[in-house]
Amino acid sequence: MSDNHNESFRLHSPEFNQLNRKLDRRNFLTKTSLGLGALALGSLIGNRVLGKVSGVVTNDLATATLEEEILRAIPHFAPKAKRVVYLFMSGGPSQFETFDYKPKLAGMFGQPLPDSVRQGQRLTAMSANQSIFPVVPSAYKFSQYGQSQTWISELLPHTAQVVDDLCIIKSIHSEAINHDPAITFFQTGTQLPGRPSIGSWVSYGLGSDNKNLPTFIVLVSKNGVKDQPLYARLWGNGFLPSEHQGVQFRAGKDPVLFLDNPEGYDGKDRKEMLDYLSKLNTMQNEPYGDPEVQARISQYEMAYRMQTSVPEVMDTSSEPDEVFELYGPDSRDPGTYAANCILARKLLEKDVKFVQLYHQGWDHHGGLPAGIKKQCKDTDQATAALVKDLKRRGLLEDTLVIWGGEFGRTVYSQGKLQPNDYGRDHHPRCFTMWMAGAGVKPGISYGETDDFSYNVVKNPVHVHDFQATLMHLLGVDHERLTFKFQGRRFRLTDVQGNVVRDILT
Amino acid sequence: MILLAFNVAGFIGRFHPVLVHMPVGILMLAALFIALSVYDRFKSLKVAITISLVTGMVSAVASCVTGFLLSKTDSYESTLLFKHQWYAIAVAIVSAIVLYLHLKNRETRWGAGLMVLLVMITGHLGGSITHGSDFLTKAFSSGGGGSDPFGKPIPNVQETVAYTAIIKPILDSKCLSCHGPNKQKGRLRLDDPSFILKGGEDGAAVIAGKPLESALMKRILLSRENKDHMPPPEKPQLTKQDIDLLNWWISTGANFDRKVKELEQSDKIKSILKSLESEKAVEEIPLSDVPEQPVEKGSEEAIQKLKERGIAVVPIAQNSNYLSANFVAVEGFNPKDLQLLEPVKKQLIWLKLGNMAVTDDALESLGKLSNLRMLHLQKTKITDQGLPQLIKIQELKFMNLGGTNVSAKGVEQLKGLKNLRQLYLYQTSISAEELNNLKKLFPKVEIEAGGYQVPALDGDTTVLKGPITK
Repeated sequence: MSDNHNESFRLHSPEFNQLNRKLDRRNFLTKTSLGLGALALGSLIGNRVLGKVSGVVTNDLATATLEEEILRAIPHFAPKAKRVVYLFMSGGPSQFETFDYKPKLAGMFGQPLPDSVRQGQRLTAMSANQSIFPVVPSAYKFSQYGQSQTWISELLPHTAQVVDDLCIIKSIHSEAINHDPAITFFQTGTQLPGRPSIGSWVSYGLGSDNKNLPTFIVLVSKNGVKDQPLYARLWGNGFLPSEHQGVQFRAGKDPVLFLDNPEGYDGKDRKEMLDYLSKLNTMQNEPYGDPEVQARISQYEMAYRMQTSVPEVMDTSSEPDEVFELYGPDSRDPGTYAANCILARKLLEKDVKFVQLYHQGWDHHGGLPAGIKKQCKDTDQATAALVKDLKRRGLLEDTLVIWGGEFGRTVYSQGKLQPNDYGRDHHPRCFTMWMAGAGVKPGISYGETDDFSYNVVKNPVHVHDFQATLMHLLGVDHERLTFKFQGRRFRLTDVQGNVVRDILT
Repeated sequence: MILLAFNVAGFIGRFHPVLVHMPVGILMLAALFIALSVYDRFKSLKVAITISLVTGMVSAVASCVTGFLLSKTDSYESTLLFKHQWYAIAVAIVSAIVLYLHLKNRETRWGAGLMVLLVMITGHLGGSITHGSDFLTKAFSSGGGGSDPFGKPIPNVQETVAYTAIIKPILDSKCLSCHGPNKQKGRLRLDDPSFILKGGEDGAAVIAGKPLESALMKRILLSRENKDHMPPPEKPQLTKQDIDLLNWWISTGANFDRKVKELEQSDKIKSILKSLESEKAVEEIPLSDVPEQPVEKGSEEAIQKLKERGIAVVPIAQNSNYLSANFVAVEGFNPKDLQLLEPVKKQLIWLKLGNMAVTDDALESLGKLSNLRMLHLQKTKITDQGLPQLIKIQELKFMNLGGTNVSAKGVEQLKGLKNLRQLYLYQTSISAEELNNLKKLFPKVEIEAGGYQVPALDGDTTVLKGPITK
């Protein structure tokens, strides 16, 4: 280590010195005479930018002010949910074989879907040209479970055990009919890409109690059938500052890419290096006030803290056998849905604000009976285990668990209906999701669909309503959490969304 | 440097209430002079116009600057503030334009008129910020009804006429002060069936059978911040029960003559109706996670100290001074850290200490945090000896003791916690039998101790049923 380590900056170029000389005569006069006016004007134009230019200059925790500014404003009211785990079943799980029991279909196998039900509604290009739309009942039996006597398919025996903790919403409806727009709609409130994901909004609005881990963490199952792609923009920050994007944790040696120290470097002076870098960045940013520079600084710091916090949280070796048994045999295999569920619970215990799991493979255009059986087997036990595990640890009290896909599936068979096989096409007009935990009424079913689960007949819940309710549970008024971008204030629910008060405790 | 400037700025801002009256008076006077100078005998006022416009404009600019600085020091209602701010800036600009026109000997009367209008709007908005938006109209309002429409219990509620016995009292107490015989805001009267059916200027107030399409219900259900919400935010609001009853009445056809028993009733409505028969509400009011009464702000200094220690201290909500503290990111916990919490013990209601090396000795300082409602102590080092300290926290509603060395005997000591509703004992040595006893001992408390078994399911060998064989 050389001697000039005690100097605040080890740099002596003329450009740097000019930058470093914070207050020369000219500067002093400009800042004192015009300062007040500039202060006022700056704040009129954009509060955030001003905060960057003035207050933060010498502050080590440069990013804290932005964060705290938001924290000061939000939550709008005391939250019921302090964290969220969102189990996203990508591909569009069929409601017929899972939660939406339609006994009247049993006698209608192969009969054409009455026009009075479909009423000329649009179909996807995949089945629009079919000459008939043969109705197909669920291949699997349903029974009633729990005190609430809720009908659940035999494919979900474990979920059936926790049904009294769930609030099953059977009347969710979406606007998009294909995967990409539909999943983007669910995640960002808009079908077109480019807006922030729900988790990013939550991160932006509420921040996190735990500064050692990202606020928004994403886990993708390795054992889901990769029929429809997932891409990082689904958990992207859109126009929000980039520290709010979801951070994907992977299975295996390197849970977060590029987080480990390179070989041959012990990392001992990392903190010093980062402090120094942060000073330089802050100083360079002083004249510009670009939030992205602040985001970069905070991301470096976060990455540094994650070097210790991530290996700790990813290590499941100290979990007792009983936990693995609860989550099922897959849970010992890192990267599976079940293992991710354990991981999610560990992250929630560490007060990570928003954990989102993705499990692909629910897009059953053909071969549905076998396909959905595999999907349920891969997810059912771990899902139920997560609910139980959170409950016994006292976490379900203030953690919101959400299960659902981007749309449902049609009552008619796509392609030729065979005696032992069928498929179902995309159906956004009604499908089933469930929520459990913080602030949600347990053991109820909400909303009803018609006998063909084709249209909602009672208590419809739009995707925006779902998002509004989710934000409400977190203590955020979805109409007030906005971000100004390109001259307009944006929000998660755009100009829609009503909180579904009927399902709140 | 600039930080200091900001504090000085805050001080300067406080002159706003003094300064604002100058542009109001002077600019109005200037406008009067301009108007009068049309007449020959007031021609000599020309000089005065210049003087009054200059002073008026300067004081307007000064008011803008001070007002802006003032707005940063405290939180004001943002929409009103936004309007006030920009109207004020408009006043300053328009007065400058009028001055310019005047100096160039051009026509200034239209500009002066606009200026007067803007001054009045700005002044009104400013007044609304400080005195409340209903300050002007308060003199007229008759004070509104009581908050409870049903003063006395209604005996035999099923035999009464739904409208007269239940609905009318609600409307009378919550709506009539503005929509009654004295006043008909929006041309709506709600004191007689014929008026209710007629509705107001936006059409019918009630659509029989369709509560969610009825304007009356729509307005009531809007969030309180919404400007169309009824009753206005400062008036007594409808209770949940009032809303349920109105909703029920409209959905069953908004009939004015039928008896309660002739109308279809859900279980929920039945229980509400039943509760009207007795003196007090039957329903036990659920304990809230947040105290009802407000509290003063916690010491900034103490909060700062906590934050420096890595403890996440966050207000539980906007405009609430109650705090939650979370130790999750604290490294190297020291029992002394708990003493940092004492200065904010009035404000602190949620506390998370999970996984920290909290010992029985440390619980003594914890016992002083008498306002706690939620306490997480899972996986700490506490034992039975420490638990009596926690009895002092009488407000405690939620407690997590999972993964600690407490026994059933120790937990029994918590009997004194009258408000306890949830208790978590997962991963403790408490046996199933002891747990059952505890559940009997704490009838109001939901005790959760895990112990979930994976059920033996035949689901693993599911065979397809129905027409499909695979």
